[in-house]
Amino acid sequence: MKRWVGWSVLTVVAVLALVALLPSWVPVSAQGAKPAKLVIAAVAGNESLGLKAVAPTYERESGIKLDIVEMPYPTLYEKLVTTFQAGAATYDLIMLDDPWMPKFGTEEWLTPLDSTYGFKRDPDIPGVIYDVGTWPPPRGPVPPSEKSKPKHLLGITVVGNVEMFMYRKDLSPAPKSWDEVLANAKKLNKPGSMAGYVVRGAATNPIVADFLPILWSFGGDVFDASWNVVIDSPASLRAVKFLVNDLKSVAPSGAENIDAADRSRLMAIGQAYQSTVWPGEVTGIVENPKVSKTIGKVGYIPMPAGPSGKGYGMMGNWLLAIPKASKNGRAGADFIVWVTSPKVQKAYAEAGGIPSRTSILTDTAMNDKNPYFAALAKSLDAVPNWRPRTDQWNAVETILGTNLNAALAGLATPEDATKKAATEIRALMKKAGY
Amino acid sequence: MPRRRPAQLWHLVAVPVLGAVGLVYAFPLYWLLVTALKGEGELYRVTPSLYPLEPTLDAFSSVLVTRGFLGLLENSILVCGATVVIALTIGFAVAYPITRLKVSRRLRLGVLNWALSLRFLPPVAVVVPYFAIVRGLGLYDHPLALILIYTVFNLPFAIWMLKGFLAEIPSEIEEAAFVDGASRWMAFCRVLLPLAAPGILASGVIIFAFAWSEFLFALILTASPRAQTFPVGVQGLVTQFQIIWNDMAAAGALAIAVPLGLMVLARRYVLAGLTFGVIRGQ
Amino acid sequence: MESASDSRLQAGSASLGQGTREPGPLARQERLAYAILLPVLGTIFVVVTYPLLFAVDQSLRATRGGDFVGLRNYTTALENPLLYEALAATGIYAGIVLPAEILGGLGLALLVHRTVRSARIRMAVYVLATLPIVIPPVAVGVIARLIYAPGYGVLNHLLMLAGLVQAEIPWLSRRETAMLAVASVDVWQWTPFVYLVCFAGLQTVPRESIDAAQVDGATRWTLFSRIELPYLRPLLLLVLFWRLADVLRVFDHIFILTGGGPGATTQLLSVYLYRVAFKFFDTGEAAALAVLVMLAMSLLYATATRLLPLERD
Repeated sequence: MKRWVGWSVLTVVAVLALVALLPSWVPVSAQGAKPAKLVIAAVAGNESLGLKAVAPTYERESGIKLDIVEMPYPTLYEKLVTTFQAGAATYDLIMLDDPWMPKFGTEEWLTPLDSTYGFKRDPDIPGVIYDVGTWPPPRGPVPPSEKSKPKHLLGITVVGNVEMFMYRKDLSPAPKSWDEVLANAKKLNKPGSMAGYVVRGAATNPIVADFLPILWSFGGDVFDASWNVVIDSPASLRAVKFLVNDLKSVAPSGAENIDAADRSRLMAIGQAYQSTVWPGEVTGIVENPKVSKTIGKVGYIPMPAGPSGKGYGMMGNWLLAIPKASKNGRAGADFIVWVTSPKVQKAYAEAGGIPSRTSILTDTAMNDKNPYFAALAKSLDAVPNWRPRTDQWNAVETILGTNLNAALAGLATPEDATKKAATEIRALMKKAGY
Repeated sequence: MPRRRPAQLWHLVAVPVLGAVGLVYAFPLYWLLVTALKGEGELYRVTPSLYPLEPTLDAFSSVLVTRGFLGLLENSILVCGATVVIALTIGFAVAYPITRLKVSRRLRLGVLNWALSLRFLPPVAVVVPYFAIVRGLGLYDHPLALILIYTVFNLPFAIWMLKGFLAEIPSEIEEAAFVDGASRWMAFCRVLLPLAAPGILASGVIIFAFAWSEFLFALILTASPRAQTFPVGVQGLVTQFQIIWNDMAAAGALAIAVPLGLMVLARRYVLAGLTFGVIRGQ
Repeated sequence: MESASDSRLQAGSASLGQGTREPGPLARQERLAYAILLPVLGTIFVVVTYPLLFAVDQSLRATRGGDFVGLRNYTTALENPLLYEALAATGIYAGIVLPAEILGGLGLALLVHRTVRSARIRMAVYVLATLPIVIPPVAVGVIARLIYAPGYGVLNHLLMLAGLVQAEIPWLSRRETAMLAVASVDVWQWTPFVYLVCFAGLQTVPRESIDAAQVDGATRWTLFSRIELPYLRPLLLLVLFWRLADVLRVFDHIFILTGGGPGATTQLLSVYLYRVAFKFFDTGEAAALAVLVMLAMSLLYATATRLLPLERD
């Protein structure tokens, strides 16, 4: 019997020992030495096309292997936050969507690029690109807890996304306002074969991304300059009604589940007339010769104007940043410099990546190959809006997106949905200390 | 005479019903496979075609090679295999005393009770503290974290199944060995284990399948291909920014093929184990 | 949960310590059993209870800063109407899935048992029925996407081919159809499991009882309700609770298919908890919810075991 006790005790001890010792068996590279590889957390989609295309060149030139870990959009955000909370050194570089900058900046999870690695502003890159990568933001309302912090550059844009508008230029001239968009859509809408306007209505991020330019052009907003919630103001409500009533009437069925690739696919197979679009979808789907049937028929313009007379583009840059926990910061910084250099950006753009250098965007040869460059350059010049710079944005977007989606699906009236969203967001912001 | 008609009625109903059921199960799997065999261009047709017009293995090579899911496959096999070994070992350590030794009914029921109760626990409730603990231990994004958690969650099932199989073996066989002078340990190794082998195999296959399917903990506790398992990879392909349904289907098909293959190979032994060991299968 | 079985363990050992009438081999076997069991169960107990204690601690602290805030997280969690919407959604889901699976599985078992005579076909059906259980729910979710999604979902295409509908049905966009869609996935995957248990149960009904009843001129219904059902009842109860436990934990395929939408229609309990913990990162409220869920499950489990036959002696 004693043997049994002995055996069981031994097993327990062995298991515990294994648990305690195993983590330390993982080799740790010396700080500062050239790493064998860099792990980059990236978003799964066309936005990473350029990065993946230039990776082999970098590996050849530097001898460092690039391990690009792709994840779907919502998963990437959740994964980054949990990894940072865990203080793990899993990722050497991360791709982040610019609306996430407030959260990552407030929590101080990223290494400042200007003070630590000496990054300086390049005149060939539009100033707004550097602004979006700076925390606290140089423009617009700043969260109360961040007001006293010094400004630092925390990320550099690697995908120069600005949300634009696409339409079938062989079917009508460019719409100048959202009213014209609706009128044209009503004329050309044929349920089952041609959608007048495709609403990207999937819940949370997708529908909010599609909606914000409309909201702003109608004079509404989510917050005002003092972080008061104004999503239920009369102007905002008018914008919501425009989306869930007017545009819905000319949208294909199932709009509540349509996301970016779905609507671009509809445009590529000739079943859609108009929609908003991100440049990544253009290179990956709409202008992709392997799959698109409408090459050369689609026009790209900055966002149409609203009743106020002004159109608001929206930034959606993807930035490269270095987590504080990363053990290969220097190598990461070198890579950022490399990938944003003019020579690499050219190859990057040719492979389908979205550049942000003015010289490339205005290059005539490149414009022939990429019809959306002109619109992108114009949008960047007009200094597009960015999403509210609050670290609570992910939660706000979830609340707003869920309620908008419910209104779009007809589960709630626009008034009820807007009121519910406003109440929930107010409670959230209050809890967060705003 | 009147008894014949109801029998014929049953037969009349049986064929179409079973046929329909068969279709309901076969078609989705067929559709998955068909989508996995389509090329990228075929996904841009206005209406989907019911069979691949130009079948290709591009999606599979894209998933396994280009996206590197072969590594995720290895991780899954490692984690599930280790879970099976540890869970069966500990399961035996619990099932043996309560079936072979004379213990009070209360104790036996108590253990089985606890085993069933773990099934009522939503993993997402447990993942919240487990995340913090894994973080503290420095096991974030490490396969060991998954092995430990999978073992804990599959232990009840292991105990149930092993109890069922062990209870089937009459104690006289072991007692005969004792009479012949064998120690308890020798009786265990030479007599009991070989007899229980089919049960162990069945339990192992089912635990492997359950660990293989686990998704939530793998999603939260891993961050890179160092520890990510195959189901996490499958979910990663459900992206809305690209039209890669063929890749998604290929990954899904591979995710199904592994446990399915194991089950088919071990089918004879698995049947009894699945009915909780309460009913011995034929 | 742990406390219930642990007290039983202690009660068992107490009674044994005092009342063993036969000394010698029996008492030694008892002690051997405990020697093996206690360290193992003890370790497991610690591994399972420690997270619970950790969660309780986390639930009593604020998300920002970690100060002790007492029961505030619990009140915020319980005041959130989304929690009750999630509970309602889970209830509706269970209300659809459980009857469908149990009636469907039982019906199919009866059908095959009554009509299929060939042992080979019976064996083949049996083996086929074990397969859906081991399909990863993530993969079933992927299959469901390929069937229900707007635009490329094959179900609409088939319905239109058959002429049953003229326009696409937005399965995942409407409240009722979305719930049916996620429920259908569950029914698809688990009805075979119910079938297996019922079929095995039917095979244990003694031949003599059936023959005797048929000689007495019993109809098929009486055969079922008087003879077979008593054998099946304990199994059906066990299956009911097993599936109920699973339904309360369901997550994977809903996450893939609808993510909780449209709106919050298919945001069942697990999906809601996930949202609070990993979308909003509200660790205090998430921990409070986790503790509440664990307590509720313990209560549910305790009531369940009063009715369950755990062992047939």
